[in-house]
Amino acid sequence: MLLHYITGLGIVIAGGVHLFTVFLTGSYAQNLAFSGGPFSVISIYKNAIFALTLELLLIFVDYHALNGIRVILIEFHQGTTWERGVSWVLAVAGILLLVYGTRTILIANALA
Amino acid sequence: MAEPLIQELRRALTGWFYPVHYNLERWAYALQRITGIAVTAYFLAHIVETGNVVGGMSVWFVPPTGQAADVWTATFHFLENPFFDLGLVVIGFMLSYHTINGIRLTLTEFGLLQGKPERPDFPYKAKSFSIAQRALFWLSVLFAVVTAVYALNVLFGV
Repeated sequence: MLLHYITGLGIVIAGGVHLFTVFLTGSYAQNLAFSGGPFSVISIYKNAIFALTLELLLIFVDYHALNGIRVILIEFHQGTTWERGVSWVLAVAGILLLVYGTRTILIANALA
Repeated sequence: MAEPLIQELRRALTGWFYPVHYNLERWAYALQRITGIAVTAYFLAHIVETGNVVGGMSVWFVPPTGQAADVWTATFHFLENPFFDLGLVVIGFMLSYHTINGIRLTLTEFGLLQGKPERPDFPYKAKSFSIAQRALFWLSVLFAVVTAVYALNVLFGV
């Protein structure tokens, strides 16, 4: 469970950067437009540091959220089979989410 | 012995999500769990939503920039309505609560801010839930309300 607390604190930092770039650097409409501003969607992805921060945020939230669901499901019902099944299903779901999110970040970073 | 699933489910749901007649710590716990599940749901939707920045689920190689821009702009306009905006306000509230209350839980996990054991006397206030922790709990509620008001202002221009 130590990882749950570590990723939680990581989210506070990486999530803080994410919310800062969306809400505190200019108008919401401009920052969520595809391009056109220094903090517009594609400008963020094309900046290596912001893209890396998003990737870290993705990893942290992916682990923290799915482990949280795992904790709830294991508390709901006890048993070796149940616990293993829940852990495996959520691990696979977590990896799929991570692959899809990383794909978005890599391709958006490489857009012309 | 194993109890029937439906009974197990009912016991779990009322135990977790119905803290009426219990103390504040139980309320904090229920809220942490509810907000955690809701923000997880938002996270899943957000990964799918932001996937449209590059043109959607079928895109696995770098597409023409114009194509990606069109898909994202259409997605943003689809999501830009009072229903989803109100959802974002609620998610902002929940995220803020979960963050500060999560910091409280992290501190207690490492033994900080714990009350000293004492003889239990009426009205049996939980000693584990110290004044500092109560303050952090109310701070998390305050922060959540402030976030919701801020989000209302950004999204609805109140």
